[in-house]
Amino acid sequence: MKILFLFILIFHILHVNADEIYNLIKIPNLEIYKLNNDNNIRYLSAKGNFKIGVNKNITCDKVDVNKLNTKFPLIEKNLNRYNSNFLNNIKLKYIVFCENLFISEINTGGIADNKNRTLILDINFNKKYFERMIHHEIFHMIQNSHTEYFDEEKFSALNISSFNYAECSTCSDRLNLDLYKKTDGFLTEYSKSIPSEDMAEIFSFLMTDKETIEDKINSDKILNYKVNFIKSNLAKIDKNIL
Amino acid sequence: MIKSIKASKSEKILFIFLICLSIFAFTSFFLLKNKCLFVEKNNLNKLNFNDPNNIAVMNVECGNVIIELYPDISPKAVERFKILIEQKMYDDSAFYKVSENTFVQAGDIEYGNINNLDYSKIGSGKSGLGLLKSELSNDFKFTEGSVGFARATEFDTEDSEFFITLKEIPIYQGEYTPIGKVVYGLDILTKIKTGNKAIYVLRPDYIKSFRMFNSN
Repeated sequence: MKILFLFILIFHILHVNADEIYNLIKIPNLEIYKLNNDNNIRYLSAKGNFKIGVNKNITCDKVDVNKLNTKFPLIEKNLNRYNSNFLNNIKLKYIVFCENLFISEINTGGIADNKNRTLILDINFNKKYFERMIHHEIFHMIQNSHTEYFDEEKFSALNISSFNYAECSTCSDRLNLDLYKKTDGFLTEYSKSIPSEDMAEIFSFLMTDKETIEDKINSDKILNYKVNFIKSNLAKIDKNIL
Repeated sequence: MIKSIKASKSEKILFIFLICLSIFAFTSFFLLKNKCLFVEKNNLNKLNFNDPNNIAVMNVECGNVIIELYPDISPKAVERFKILIEQKMYDDSAFYKVSENTFVQAGDIEYGNINNLDYSKIGSGKSGLGLLKSELSNDFKFTEGSVGFARATEFDTEDSEFFITLKEIPIYQGEYTPIGKVVYGLDILTKIKTGNKAIYVLRPDYIKSFRMFNSN
């Protein structure tokens, strides 16, 4: 049994890629894309495919640098809206670019990893939602680092009593990201999946299309409560973000 | 009657070539096996330092690596480093994490010692002196030969493990607590056994001894 354990251990050891970036954020096959930025964020890109996470359930492919060069100004513009203090506060330092990001075989736009202060972004994500997706994922970093402000039970209580969220974001078929014409407390179908996605959707719309949301809340009481919940708690971290 | 056959000129040349080749192969085998053969040794008696109280000497298989410590940048970290050196806790510590031409890491007192090497726990050992707060410097550049305190994923988890960079690693700036810089013997560190493409090294090299210069 000990020999088998040692064999598995050696096999495991031999298959870990060794480099300085892996040593820092535990993602292999990365290289520096842009290091020095005003808000101290550091951009990295996948020079090869990688698999990470429990049972290697997160996979992503190397980036086409030309494609990234085209998309980068838009990404940078959106991330520059967050100052270094705020980013430090929400434990975000590294942005990793890759293509075709999957978690447990489900395609996703981004994955927030507060422990390693990293946000993985799929640069191939649907163009229509791309900018909003960036802020959506950043909200997950905000919530993960400030669970005391973004309590899911308190937030869920703002809905009508008959409404129930799904068990998890990936075990629901509520995936559409288009803005509802008639909101009824929810901005998109995806908002109905779980409370954290509902909050993230509100935050992402506030960052990208604030006027529309301000307009929607005039005729949607529940949504108004939810937007105020996000705004007031966010102000506890940084008054100038929204 | 056996007639003696005279070797032709080309046969003689071939014979001489084979002899030369075997001599070359034989000597190369023994010479190349000695990885320290062409490494410059640092004679401590011939070296002078401005601040000898902050000079540490790490002796490894190929010779002495001389490190200047920076208490002005990271006072607590350097204080801890000196305590560990003075208590000889780094002696026999394995360079268990080595990335070729990138960095070498050692200093797991608990599970990385030659007498108690535990591959299943290496990297998680404690010195018994408690964890330190990270002393980060946004100005300190991790150039070739920089010595930093290693930590877990989280900050403020520095204990005894340290790494030495073998090339400039700009992404480490502001991420790790600087301890000092190698002033002599960086080429000695490039001879430390690597894990090939793996980050962990099986049957690693060790620190023979680690002393403050003044105690030598």
